[in-house]
This record gives sequence, C-alpha cells and structure tokens, in this order.
Amino acid sequence: MAQPLVKKDDDRDEEVDYSPFMGIEKGAVLQEARVFNDPQLDARKCSQVITKLLYLLNQGETFTKFEATDVFFAVTKLFQSKDIGLRRMVYLMIKEISPSADEVIIVTSSLMKDMNSRTDMYRANAIRVLCRIIDGTLLTQIERYLKQAIVDKNPVVASAALVSGIHLLQTTPEIVKRWSNEVQEAVQSRAALVQFHALALLHQIRQNDRLAISKLVTSLTKGTVRSPLAQCLLIRYTSQVIRESGVNSQTVDRPFYDYLEGCLRHKAEMVIFEAAKAITELSNVTTRELTPAITVLQLFLSSSKPVLRFAAVRTLNKVAMTHPMPVTSCNIDMESLISDQNRSIATLAITTLLKTGNESSVDRLMKQITNFMSDIADEFKIVVVEAIRSLCLKFPLKYRSLMNFLSNILREEGGFDYKKAIVDSIVILIRDIPDAKESGLLHLCEFIEDCEFTYLSTQILHFLGNEGPKTSDPSKYIRYIYNRVILENATVRASAVSTLAKFGAMVDTLKPRVFILLRRCLFDNDDEVRDRATLYLNTLGDGSVTETHKDVKDFLFGSFDIPLTNLEITLKNYLQNPAEKPFDITSVPREVKSQPLAEKKATGKKPTGLGAPPPPPTSAADAYERILTAIPEFASFGKLFKSSAPVELTEAETEYAVNVVKHIFDSHVVFQYNCTNTIAEQLLENVTVVVDASEAEEFSEVGTKPIKSLPYDTPAQTFVAYEKPEGIPAIGKFSNTLRFTVKEVDTSTGEAEDDGVEDEYQLEDFEVVAADYILKVGVSNFKNAWESMDAESERVDEYGLGARESLTEAVNAVINLLGMQPCEGTEVVTSNSRSHTCLLSGVYIGNVKVLVRLSFGIDGSKDVAMKLAVRSDDVNVSDVIHEIVASG
Amino acid sequence: MLLAVLIANSEGNILVERFNGVPPEERLHWRSFLVKLGADNLRGVKNEELLVANHKSVYIVYTVLGDVSIFVVGKDEYDELALAEAIFVITAALKDVCGKPPTERLFLDKYGKICLCLDEIVWKGMLENTDKDRIKRLIRLKPPTEF
Repeated sequence: MAQPLVKKDDDRDEEVDYSPFMGIEKGAVLQEARVFNDPQLDARKCSQVITKLLYLLNQGETFTKFEATDVFFAVTKLFQSKDIGLRRMVYLMIKEISPSADEVIIVTSSLMKDMNSRTDMYRANAIRVLCRIIDGTLLTQIERYLKQAIVDKNPVVASAALVSGIHLLQTTPEIVKRWSNEVQEAVQSRAALVQFHALALLHQIRQNDRLAISKLVTSLTKGTVRSPLAQCLLIRYTSQVIRESGVNSQTVDRPFYDYLEGCLRHKAEMVIFEAAKAITELSNVTTRELTPAITVLQLFLSSSKPVLRFAAVRTLNKVAMTHPMPVTSCNIDMESLISDQNRSIATLAITTLLKTGNESSVDRLMKQITNFMSDIADEFKIVVVEAIRSLCLKFPLKYRSLMNFLSNILREEGGFDYKKAIVDSIVILIRDIPDAKESGLLHLCEFIEDCEFTYLSTQILHFLGNEGPKTSDPSKYIRYIYNRVILENATVRASAVSTLAKFGAMVDTLKPRVFILLRRCLFDNDDEVRDRATLYLNTLGDGSVTETHKDVKDFLFGSFDIPLTNLEITLKNYLQNPAEKPFDITSVPREVKSQPLAEKKATGKKPTGLGAPPPPPTSAADAYERILTAIPEFASFGKLFKSSAPVELTEAETEYAVNVVKHIFDSHVVFQYNCTNTIAEQLLENVTVVVDASEAEEFSEVGTKPIKSLPYDTPAQTFVAYEKPEGIPAIGKFSNTLRFTVKEVDTSTGEAEDDGVEDEYQLEDFEVVAADYILKVGVSNFKNAWESMDAESERVDEYGLGARESLTEAVNAVINLLGMQPCEGTEVVTSNSRSHTCLLSGVYIGNVKVLVRLSFGIDGSKDVAMKLAVRSDDVNVSDVIHEIVASG
Repeated sequence: MLLAVLIANSEGNILVERFNGVPPEERLHWRSFLVKLGADNLRGVKNEELLVANHKSVYIVYTVLGDVSIFVVGKDEYDELALAEAIFVITAALKDVCGKPPTERLFLDKYGKICLCLDEIVWKGMLENTDKDRIKRLIRLKPPTEF
C-alpha cells in the first residue's frame, strides 16, 4: 500500500461519497439503456451506461432472459455510431451478454460487415465476438474469412482468429481441423504472440497424431521460437514426445535432452524453470541428467521473487520423493527458506528437508520445525505431519523423537482435520513399528483425556480396544478408558463401554475387574450405554477368570462383512412387502456395487478444500480382503496373505481398460481383473477373462466369477481362482483374453439394444513371480532383529550381476526381484560410491520372517558383484531366497 | 486455463471478477477463499510484490496495487510463473489506464477502460495480449505500432 494508513482512510471516506457507482441499481441502469435507441446517439453517454452494465455483471448481478434480450437488442443499435471508443465497448458488451441462439442472427450481419472491414481492428474484434456467439452452421459460412484472418499481416487479427480457433476446437473440432495448413503457416510468423497462439492451436489439432507432433517438435527445436511463452509450450510438447518415445536413457542417449538442457541457459526465467521441471519429470531420469536442472532450481531458491522461490521449492519437493540424493545439495538454501515469510514456501522447504534428510539430521530438523509449527495455519501443519509420518516409517529407529513431536503437537491448539492427521499418523506408526506401540498408545490415551472431538475420541477408543489387550500390561489403559465413561458425552461413553468389554474378553485376568466397571455403567442415563453394558455382561460369562468363548468374541467384536447399503435396500424391500417369515440376514447380497467413475471424479473435485472430512483411511489390503471374503466361492481359501499392486493388461486409451491384482492365499491364487468399458455406445455383459495357464503348470483353475453387466465408465471386477501346492512359491505365466457379449447403446436415451454379439479382446500376459510370496514388512532395528535370529539359519553366497548402468540400478533390481522392504533408508545409494550395503526385511508365505543383507560392489568396467546373506525363521526359506536370486 | 481474474478493494469487496471454466456453484467458494487469502496475507505488502499459493493442482498469484488487490488463478499450463506473467500485464495495464497505482475511486472512474484492458489480456481463459502499449492502443481500436 503506497499511502500512509490514516491518510488513505480519509481519502476513502471522500471516495465512497463520490463513487461513480454509488447506489447503482439494475432497474435504473436498464432504464438508462434506453439512450441506445435515441436517433441522435450520444457516444459518451452510451459508453457510461455500458460501463454501468459491465459493473453490474462483474458484481455477479444476473439479468433475466427478458432483460438480457432487451439490452442486447438495444446494444445492436449502437453499430450505427461511428465512435471508435463506443464500438469497442459494444463488442465487449455483446460478449458479456452472450445472446441466445435465436437472437444472434440480429447482430451477425453487422459483425460480418466489420469482419470484412478495412479497419484491421474492427476485423479482429468482430472475429472474437462472432466466435463467442455463433454455432457450427454459421461457422461454416464465415470459415473462409477466418482462414484468411489466421494468416493476416496484422498480428492482432491473426491472434484473434487463432485464439478463436482454440475455443472453437472444443465445440466444432471437425471444422477447425481443416485450418491446419494456415495454422502451420502462422507458426512460422515473425510476431511472437501469433507464433505462441498458433503453436498452441496446432498442437491441439494434432494431439492424437504422435508422428505429426514429433515432427513439429523436431523442426521447432532446431528453428527459432520468438516468445518465452511459446518456448514454454514447446518444452512441454518436447517432454511429451520424449515420454511417448519410451527411450530408456540407461542404454541410449535421450532424444531432445540437449534441447531441454540448452533451455536452462535461456534468458527468461519462465523458460529456465519450465525446462528444469521437464527434466525432473523425465521417466527414469539419471543423476547426470538431473544435476544441471537441480543447479538452476537451487539458484531460484535464493531469488528475491517469491514466485520463483515457490516454483523452485515445489519442484524440488517433488524430485525429493523419487531422487532424494541429488536434492541434498540444496539443503542449506532450503534450510534458510524455513523462515520465509510465505508460509507455503516454508512448508514446502520443511517437507523437502524431511525427505532428503538423513538419520543423523532428524533431531536438528525437528528442533527447527517445533519453532516453525506455532505460526503456520492448520492446512500447512497437516502437510508437515504427513511428512513426519513418512520420515518415521523410513527411519524407524528415530520413532522416539518423532513420536514425541507428534504427541507434543497433539496437545496444542488445532482444528479437527489437523488433530485427525496427527492421530492417524500415530495409529499408522503403532501398526508399522512394533516398538512404538506402547508409547504411542499412551500418547493417545493422554490425548483423549482432554479431547474436544467426539469422532476422534471414539476412533481412539476403538483402536485402543483392538491393540491395548495385546500389550505387556493391558491394565494400565483401563483407567483412561473408564474416565471416559465418567466424564464424556453419551457417544464417547458408549464407545468406552465397548472398549472395556474388549479388554474383558481378551484378557482373562482383567475380566472380574472389568465386570465391576461394566456393572456401574448399568446406571448410566443414556439408553445406548446401558444397553451395551447389559449385552456385554450377559454374554461375556460370569465375571470370573475364565476364557471367553470364541463364538462370543466373534459375535461381539467380529467384523460386519455385509455392505450397509445392501442391507438397507433389502430391509426396505422387506418392509414394503411384509411377510410372515422373519427377516433373514443371509438373504442380503454381499456383492459391492461399484461406484460410477464420473461420480467419483465429481466428489474428488473440491476447489477450495472446504467440505466434509474424508472417511477414515482403510488400507488397500483391508479393502481387498473384504471384497474377497464377500464372495462365497472364495470364502474357504483362508486368510489372504498378499495382494499385488495392479498390473496393467491394456495400453492407455484403448477401448477397454483392464488391470489385474494377484491375491495370494496359502494354497490358492485369485486374479482380480479390474475392467472399465470406455466406449459410451457399448454395454458389455457376461464379461469373463479366459486364462491360458499352460505356462504355469503347478496351477489348476478352480472357479471364475463373471461381471454380469459392464456399462460405460463404471469399473467392475471379474475373478479367476487357481489352486496351487500349499506353501510353495509356484510361479508361471498367464495369457489372458477378455470375453463378453457386446450390446449397442443409444447414447441419447442410454438404453441398450436387446440383442448382443459375442466378442473377444486380447489382453497382455502377466506372471506370478517369487516376489508375490513375500510381504514387505519392515523392522525398526535391523541389527537387533538380525542378531536375534538363529545364526544356523544363515545362508551366504556370492553372485555376479554383470555390467550395470549404476549401483542404484543393481540395488533396485534385486529389491524388486525379492519384493522385500528396504530398511533404514538403505535403498538409497550415495552417488559415485563403489560399494553399498542394503538391508531388506519381509515375511515369507507361511508367516516366516526373513532378513536379507546385500553387499554390492562395482568395478571400473561397471560389473557388479553381490554377496547375499539370508537369515530366517525357517532354514528352507533362506534357501528359497537364494534360489529366487539365482534364477532371477 | 486461466480460471479467474478477481480484483477487490481493500475491504474485500469485489470490483471485477471474471471466471473461465469455473462452474457457477463453485464461484462463491473461490470468491470467499481469495478474499480471505488476501485479508490474511496482503497486509503491509508493497505495491506489485507478488504472493503465491497453491491448492492441489490450482495456483494463485496475487498482489496489491494502490487500493486494490488483484488475484489470478490458473491450472495446468498456467502455473505460478505463467500467472506471474499475466498479473504483471494486468498491473502494468492498470497503472497505464489510471496513470498511477489506483485509489478505489480512480479505479471505478476508469472502470470501462479497465474492463476493456482485461478483455484484451485474458480471453476465455487464455492469455491473449501481453504488452501494455499494444493493449493501450487496442482498447482504442488502434493497430499495434510494430505492425
């Protein structure tokens, strides 16, 4: 603000009195608009009225259909005036009113006349207005003029036509695509902005033609591009071509990389940044390629412009997720950004440091963050909490200081979302780091002593009920839980009663004492609390130290595996058709109806983050287990051991998108094929996947579950189950064909034809590999875990891995082959190092713990040698790991 | 896409708002979000000093010029640097039309011309003209000088 505060306030009082729009009213302005009909037009007066109308529109005022028509007709009269200023206002006004299709005809002749006018600026503006208001049929009439305009000598006319083309491409692509010759010519224009607009339009016209885009990029990267904006577009298109060429830089030099690198030396910051960003986003980017980009981004970090600092730190933050090592060189600059006035920049700097920091710097960082947390908003705090959670999972040995930090901030002031993020983080840490369990549970207990959020209190009580009884001294939690029964609202009290009962059911020695507490709850003034207490007292036995029957536990605390929506529908049907027979819960279907994709997208699109908090996180494994147990045919397979990440079986943008998830059970494997039909004009029925397992001899098919109906854009799953020898890591290759009945759909009514045609669609093959039988499970202290395992179970051998691009590549290859969890950040190889040790941990099928210690060495000719030491609970499993590596 | 250009007075009242590709039901969210962002951060900021924020994949660059605060919102190719370019053009055009960083009164006095400038700078979510001298001529229907 340029002026001193007091003076400005004085000014403002004055200004408010004299504001030209003081007391402006729509009705009055519409009256004033009658001057447009005067035979002798007063251009100045008319301009003033248009300004008022614009002001109203910009304030969010809306005109009724009648008012808009009235104003539009009146404005068209103004074409009679020769006043240039007024004409410019008229163009703007017509665009703002956007007349309806039946009114457009009134103004088209005037605009077409202007479009052929000798005055260039009339032409440019008329083009812009016409393109805003006309439809396809009128467009064909003026197409000839537009094509001429694209190559007009006047850059304003050419730009107007090109930008109009970009907008018209959305509505009438078939017409605009015919202009590509002219647009191609405009790309060579000497006027910077014309070139920018032409390049954008040409790319959009040819976006589905990879070869044409590649040619365009090749010619332009060699030629001259005049504006920085166009250069940025070219960089984006170039990285698209690189992406689609799929060249792996490990073996061959990447095409166009030199061009991107050259742009890092451009004089415009915008271009430098765009090139740096493009390089960091290259797939499988190497450290050598990254280095120059990171160097320029590092320079931006100390720029005086906040926008540049923000852009640089945001990009480095992303790079740090995949390549933390090269970013460490920016750590000093990054640390100085922690005190940046812009809190977005500071938060990004902190979270980047958390990703790039090593184990020894954690404590120092935590100290800095503690000071920083007090003066940022909740939304930024949530980002920091999430970063700390991932850091803790990366360095489990540091759980003590990180957990302390989380519990400290949990005690401070904060809104629901923030507190929820902290609680979720502590819960995840407790689940993943066994050593952190007891202290974590105590932190949560202390938090609920003074928690203002009912939702969080109940969530924690539920979690406490599941985890508390399994700890070494469950009795110490009882006090916290019973306090809730005395001090809280009814919802929390009811929750606390259930948690108490869980302790009673799981810990026999506590049962008599829990019974005493539950009996007190019988006098609660809330129905639900009393009902729960009564239920538990009558089912858990007589209150003596006896084991609770398994059926009782299942009944009280087992998971409810019927989808609630299905239950609701069945109950409603039952009520509508009353029957003598009592309601039978087994009649409720257990299939989960998939949600249409469009709906999901809509709910995910919240521009400002305002809205209801998201549902509590459930892991993918839980979700899969629920889906599978709901299918009766698979219910007998026992406990799900592991589900793989989805493997794509189709290329992007094909008619049908299919991926497969491999679910491994003890003696079965279930393939879950997630199918999406991307053609609006088709309905698929009886969709199955026919699997050829001739290259997987140990597997025999036991059942399939087809998709009854697969409408457009609504993903659904079909399953195929195989039996395999129990406990053995059978491997093999599976070929797949999608088989279905296809029916035509009338997209206007959404109805499908009655008759369908059988059809097939070839899918990619996939394999079941050894890594599918190993679960990624980390250990908090590898050394302790290694030493606590029987040294007799150790198997050591050496392997030659042949010539490799780098040590990192060799390390990643072995990690992926074994599918185990890297521990203590050892998956990251220091650049230029010649040897590396990587520690892996996992659980082999049959619940056998396995630890692996890999020592790598690389020589001058890039030959990599590896020593593999394995310890496990079962010596046979140690041998199996060696077999996997030997055959991989 | 340049999703929005919004200009407000120092009390957070909207003077100009132009949305592109933002559904009407989301505009109110944006309006209040931006005004709050300004109220939280623009106090004491120098004229034309750029501030930046992002929300998921949407970027916001904003600043103060005289008595008015200016916000531009964009996504995809309109990232923070492209928006910085856009807001630079807008502030330059405003100073040109008003002759100095405007008071609210001056801004409203020149309201018509300002609307014309914005019309030349951003058209349906695309940056169209970036040179203030050219814009000055275009709003008077004069061809650009370099032509």
